Parts: sequence; C-alpha cells; structure tokens
Amino acid sequence: MSAITRRVPAGVVSTLAALLIWQVAAMVGPLSSGSFPTAIATVGAFFIILTEPILWTQLLATAQMAVVGFVLSVVLAVPVGICLGLSRFAYRSTKFTFDFFKVIPPIVIIPITILVLGPTIQMGIFLVVFANFFALAIQTAYGVRDTDVVLLETMRCYRLGTGRQILFARLPAAAPFVAVGLRIAASVALIVAVVAGLVGGAPGLGQLLAMYQTGNQIAKTFAVVLLLGILGILVSRGIVLAQRRLVFWMGK
Amino acid sequence: MTIAISIDSVSMDYKTYSGIKHVLDAVSYDVADGHFVSIVGPSGVGKTTLLRLLTGLATPTGGEILVRGSKLSGAPQGLAVVLQDYTRSLMPWLTVEKNIGLPLKTQKLNKAEVKLRISDSLEEVGLTGNEKVYPWQLSGGMQQRVSIARALAVRPSILVMDEPFASVDAQTRFDLEDLVLKVRADFGITTVMVTHDIDEAVYLSDEVVVLHGSPAKVSEVVTVNLPFPRSQVATRNDPKFAKLRTRIYEKVRGL
Repeated sequence: MSAITRRVPAGVVSTLAALLIWQVAAMVGPLSSGSFPTAIATVGAFFIILTEPILWTQLLATAQMAVVGFVLSVVLAVPVGICLGLSRFAYRSTKFTFDFFKVIPPIVIIPITILVLGPTIQMGIFLVVFANFFALAIQTAYGVRDTDVVLLETMRCYRLGTGRQILFARLPAAAPFVAVGLRIAASVALIVAVVAGLVGGAPGLGQLLAMYQTGNQIAKTFAVVLLLGILGILVSRGIVLAQRRLVFWMGK
Repeated sequence: MTIAISIDSVSMDYKTYSGIKHVLDAVSYDVADGHFVSIVGPSGVGKTTLLRLLTGLATPTGGEILVRGSKLSGAPQGLAVVLQDYTRSLMPWLTVEKNIGLPLKTQKLNKAEVKLRISDSLEEVGLTGNEKVYPWQLSGGMQQRVSIARALAVRPSILVMDEPFASVDAQTRFDLEDLVLKVRADFGITTVMVTHDIDEAVYLSDEVVVLHGSPAKVSEVVTVNLPFPRSQVATRNDPKFAKLRTRIYEKVRGL
C-alpha cells in the first residue's frame, strides 16, 4: 500500500471518531444541557447556512480582508525585510521597534482602528497587515542574514559581486524562511479577518458568527466555526503545496 | 621557473576578546607556475588562514602576497576554489549546470561558450549527463566532482583547495585524488591544497609545505620527486613515498 492511500483513510477515521465523540458527548455527556448542539445538528446546520445568500456575502467580505491584507503584508514586509537583512545597521536599529509592534496582539488595537477607520473592510485589511507585517519582515530579514557564509565566500573567490550575491545566494537562502512566514501569515490573515468582524463589527464571517450567537442560533453558530476550520485547513494545505514547489530544496 | 604566487614574510594576527592572537609569523614561500603544492601541519596551526589570505578573503597584517607580480587585493583573477564542505559551497536551489555556470557570469562569454564550458568540465570529472539535476540529488563524491567541474569551467590559472576530500569516504577519496591527478596532467593549473592527510599530500604534490608552531612558520619544504604518472598502488608502494611521508610526519609533529 502506498503512503498516500494509507494516509487518507487515517485522516477520515480520526475525523469520524472526533465527530462520534462529539455526538455522544452532546447527547449523554456533561455537555448535554441543550446549549451544545450535536455533531449531526451542526453538520445539518452547516449545509443549511451554505444555501443562505448572507453566508456568501459575508464569506466574500472575510476573504477580501484576508486575501487583500495578506497580499499587502507580503508586498510590504518582504522588501522591507530584505533591506533590513542586507544592512546590519538597519537591522540593529529597527530590531527593537519591530519586536515591540510584533508582540502587540492585533485585537488590542481594534478600539483605535474603529475610531480611525470605522467598522469597515478597510479596518479588517489594516488589522491583517498590522498582524503580519512586523513578524514577516523580521522573518525575511532573518533569512537574508542566515545565508551561509561559506557560500558567500565561495562567490567572493569567484569574483561574483554584491548584486549577484544578493540575487543568487541571499534571496534564495531567505526563501525557506519567507515560506514559513507566509504559512503563518496566511493562517493569521484568516483569523484576524474573522476577529475584525467578531469584535470590531467589520463585515464578514465574524459578524455572522456574532449575529447567530446573539440570535441564539446555536447550531448555526457552531456551523460557522466548522466552516472556518475547513477554510483554515484549505488555506494551510494550499500554502504547503505552493511551498513544496517554490522552495523545493528546503530540508535537502 | 616563473613564480605564480609569492608569499612574502606574511604575518597574520587576529583580535580576540582575550587579546591579539598571532596565527602566522613571517611565512615566506613561492609557488612555482604549474606546480601542485600542499600545505600540511597540525590542526589549528593556521593552514586555512593562509588559504584565506591567498584567496583574498582576508588581508595579511604583515608582509604581502603577490600573484604574478601584483599585490593581492580581493580574489585574484583566474582563481577557482574547491572547499571541503560541498553542501555549503554549492547552491541547492540551482541545477548542476547553473551552479557551474554561475562563476562564468564574470566572464564575457556567449551562451554557446558557457554551454560548452559546462559540458567540457562535466566530462572531465566524469559527470556528463547530470546537467539538469540538483546537487543534493547526487552522492557526496559526485557533489565534490561538481565543485571541481565548477572550478575547471572558469579555466583557472590558480586553484585553491581546502581539505577537498575530507568529507567523503575512503574509496571516493582515492577516486577524487586520481581525478585531481588527471586534471593536473590535462591542464597543469597552479594548485595550492590544504590537507591534514600527509599521504594525500605526498601522492598529489610537487612540493609539500609544513607549517608548525604558534604563531606558525614554514618549518620545512619537502620536494616530492616521485615520477608521473602516479598510481594509488605503485606510487604508494614506492620506498621513496614511505621516506617522504615519514619525514613530513616528523616535521608536522615537530620532531
């Protein structure tokens, strides 16, 4: 049996087991108080919300915030990271500020962003960029700085100049670090886009979640969570696939 | 005989946290054009430091190095290097042919010439047909052959090798040594090699330079007058081979 055919049923088995445990816990366990829907009810609600147009408008809004925010943070952070990685002075002088902003959870700046941007798509996009920019820039800078010194010295021996060292050694050497950063950034983008709606009132699945919750539509609330889980897995799988192709030498 | 590289009372000091460390002290030696020279000495004596000075990666704190009469600043024209750690000096993101082709970018060659250089070099090291593979898809010995091919492709006038066969198994080592002898017979490139293997130094070289002491000085220059072509069996069984290795061994040990 090949590795792939063995892996697929294993995943299916554990999924079914998890659903079964959920079902039993919601029926007879300590969670059977009524405010916790069964797996069957949730899956049912999942298919119901898929037929509702509001889900698709909100999904689109979340996707827009996540994707635009993700792309913007990459476009801004990677070049900045490269510059920081190439200049020891720039790296050292920005290290503190970047680390400072990196550790601020995006959720705590939501009140400020609501004041400035209001509960809009723009706010969601800004939060995604804020959540990703600093970590991604630092990660990229770290990758550029991590270029093997033996490789760079070999290039110097062959009289290859700074430009070629950047192009053929430093940037490719940073690529695996950037790839890891992108994988994290993609997940963060989705989470923050949802949080923007849930806490900040921006449109999207977060808002939908809050709406079902306040309307006491428990099964639908859980169904949105289920949907977000599936989206998260798809995003992360997609990035891993892209990473295998783009940074094919990683781990070799 | 013309002098390719002149090492003229070269000293090297490093600043460390515990003060200044004197690594090399007035090292003088002339590498004759077309000669194969090995530098041997105990671990940490400063062999690699000397190689770094020869490649222009570092500048001596005293004395000077002349390459064909002009003082060294940066890597000299026509330099090629083969380092011990091929996994670190080859680029995993480039195919074999692109790895070999990269140093050629400093030379004004057209595409056809580059292609020819690559295929010629791969043929010389016995790796024809491996143009499109990545280094990590090859065995260690083959990767080091790629490093050698990359060196040959630039048509070097000086080849510097730092423990080139220290990371491969014994059988591969013999094969690569014989490859180096073949390259030498074919091209006669002036070569300086650092090794900790005295037998290897004798087997490959015209002259063996022994560094000893702290700071290191040239303690002995041994001329290897073994006939060419050399072979793993005949040359290593030559009574002269045994005498030479004994003498160098004693000098390395400071006896």
